[in-house]
Amino acid sequence: MKIIGIITILLSGSIMIYSTLDFPEWGDPLSPANTHLSVYYIENSMPDTSVPNIVTAILADYRSYDTMFETTVIFAAGLACFLLLRNFRKKKKEYSLYRHIPTGVTLKIKNSADLADDTKLFQRIDSTWVPFDLVTRTASGLIVPFIQIFALYVIAHGHHSPGGGFQGGVIFGAAFILFAISYSLRESLKIISEKTAVILSCVGVMIYAGTGLLCLLFGSNFLNYGSLAQILFTDPVSARSLAILFVEIGVGLAVAGVMIWLYYNISSSGKYNQGL
Amino acid sequence: MDFFVILLMLLGALFFTGGSIGIIRFPDFFTRLHPAGKLDTMGLLFTMASCSLYNVNDFNLNNFLVSLKIIFIVAFIFITSPTATHAIADAGLRAGLVPWTKKR
Repeated sequence: MKIIGIITILLSGSIMIYSTLDFPEWGDPLSPANTHLSVYYIENSMPDTSVPNIVTAILADYRSYDTMFETTVIFAAGLACFLLLRNFRKKKKEYSLYRHIPTGVTLKIKNSADLADDTKLFQRIDSTWVPFDLVTRTASGLIVPFIQIFALYVIAHGHHSPGGGFQGGVIFGAAFILFAISYSLRESLKIISEKTAVILSCVGVMIYAGTGLLCLLFGSNFLNYGSLAQILFTDPVSARSLAILFVEIGVGLAVAGVMIWLYYNISSSGKYNQGL
Repeated sequence: MDFFVILLMLLGALFFTGGSIGIIRFPDFFTRLHPAGKLDTMGLLFTMASCSLYNVNDFNLNNFLVSLKIIFIVAFIFITSPTATHAIADAGLRAGLVPWTKKR
């Protein structure tokens, strides 16, 4: 079985390398991409979409299918991680550790399944538990709102500067992961539960595909945003610009949700009851 | 103006050089964190101050806003970099690393 796998990899790899021999020279000014496609994008992206950033115009409008399935790939990656790691079986734990908060004494309690996690006097802790760290928590509490605002800026400003849905979503997810690291997994699950993270990522993908479907309903091709001018009360060019913003918001939601979901699964190895 | 820009840039480079030499030359984990955290933060302050000063050479609102953003970078680095160093040192101590002493 292993030999078959190696042979398949070698064969497909050599076919790929063989096919690159037909490629045009690196940076060849006479290649088809440089004589037809790039020229079209550079000349027409502003009058077509009124988006100054050509990269955004290409990714979210001209090659919108590609970006849609990229979002789907990220969602599938989150789903694969979930299916591999999530542990649904509630294994009976032999004991749990409870910390008495006023004295700092840790108790080991057997058959602790029906005890609450947090009470006024006792707190369930992990074997990797560390005491409250004032410096880390204060600093990350100070910095997290700024990172989130920056993430929103990156998503909303993708028309004019580098950035867009993917980058903004990752920054947003990273801000929440910073919070989860400096506090604990249980605290962060209270704010964004597993369900919320999954719904967030699903809604993101659906916003993208839904924008495309809406175009279909208004009588043009899938993801041809020009026809959305009828419901946005603008001309088709500004409608494209606005629809790119919708699509970026969808991508951002999906990526942020998947980032948080991946972090939950990996940090607690799928058990969700303890971890960082 | 240019004199101050060059002076600040050189000062920043001096701090960065000190930090890099310190990371290589110091004997153990905790002492190496010291130049990595402190000197880089200080070097960043000087180099970024020099950049923002150079940027407002012909003063208008646009350049002023860009310089303000550069100053914001310094402010955030001043919050995050020492915190990160603190957290790493804390984790090292909890993991059981013994601080270096000259004679055992």
